[in-house]
Amino acid sequence: MSPNRPIRGGKPVASDNLYTVILGIAFCVVLATAALVAYKCYFQYGTIFKIP
Amino acid sequence: MSTLTKILIVLLTISSIFLCGIVVTYVANADNYRDQYNKQRADRDGLQENVASLTEQLNNKIAEKDDLGGRLSREIASLNTQISTLKRDLKAANEEKKILVQRVSNMASVVETSSQTAGEQGQLLKDTLAELNKLQAEQIKLSAELDDTSAMLLEKFAIIQTLEIEKKRLLEEKTELQSRLDRLFLPTGKLPTAPVIVTPEKDIARPTTVTARDIGLKGLVTAVDLKNKMASISIGTADGVKEGMKFHVIRGDKFICDILIIDTDAEEAVGALELVQEQPRAGDVVSTEL
Repeated sequence: MSPNRPIRGGKPVASDNLYTVILGIAFCVVLATAALVAYKCYFQYGTIFKIP
Repeated sequence: MSTLTKILIVLLTISSIFLCGIVVTYVANADNYRDQYNKQRADRDGLQENVASLTEQLNNKIAEKDDLGGRLSREIASLNTQISTLKRDLKAANEEKKILVQRVSNMASVVETSSQTAGEQGQLLKDTLAELNKLQAEQIKLSAELDDTSAMLLEKFAIIQTLEIEKKRLLEEKTELQSRLDRLFLPTGKLPTAPVIVTPEKDIARPTTVTARDIGLKGLVTAVDLKNKMASISIGTADGVKEGMKFHVIRGDKFICDILIIDTDAEEAVGALELVQEQPRAGDVVSTEL
């Protein structure tokens, strides 16, 4: 629970955990993309970093 | 957490998702160059094999071409030899053809001459046949004249025979008269002289006038054959009877029948009875005129 929690009856404010979740989702998306790229590179060219 | 950090977190997340979407889209749609490489390499290998096969076939074809070229060269040489031989034969055949054409022209002239000769021979044959026909007609005419002459000769022979009988009778009368004269003149001591011939033996023949007269033959029926309707008469070729003559048989003033003479002898003739009115008898008078 964040200490900067908005005061009841004022403007609604998201908690900090929500941004952590958003960052986690972004990290997962980037990681899945990197895994897909690595998979494609390996199965199409036989290597991940070298140029055949 | 400050507001700016939150904004950056949100922007970072959005941009990350956007870029990752772009990357995923690109990678998902990217071509598989490895497969294309393998495929092209397989195609290349196949093409290389084809090239090797075609090269081998080309070499085989070249070898066959060389072999065929050698054989064709030999055949060409053989054909050239045959051509030269055939040219010589053609030349000889042309020479023979000229000779044969000359012979044909000579034969044609011979045939033309033969045809002309055959035409002349045909014309000559026609003339000869015409002359033969003319001679045959003349022969028939001469045969008829010969028959007439033979009949006349037989008639003359009959006359000569009659004259010889007359001469014999006159000689007998002369001998009788000579014996009478001898008996008449012997008592008086005289002999009769030979009589002088006053008629010249020969004289120049003189033409005389020829006058036509009817035959006027007359005779008698000597025999009658009623079964065959034939009759014989007492006169023959010596009297001038000829075959084909027609005699009338009369008895008194009565007409009996006609006799058509079909066969003649010197002093007899035989004929067929025609127009029989009464039965003829031996002794009936026959005459050429009624």
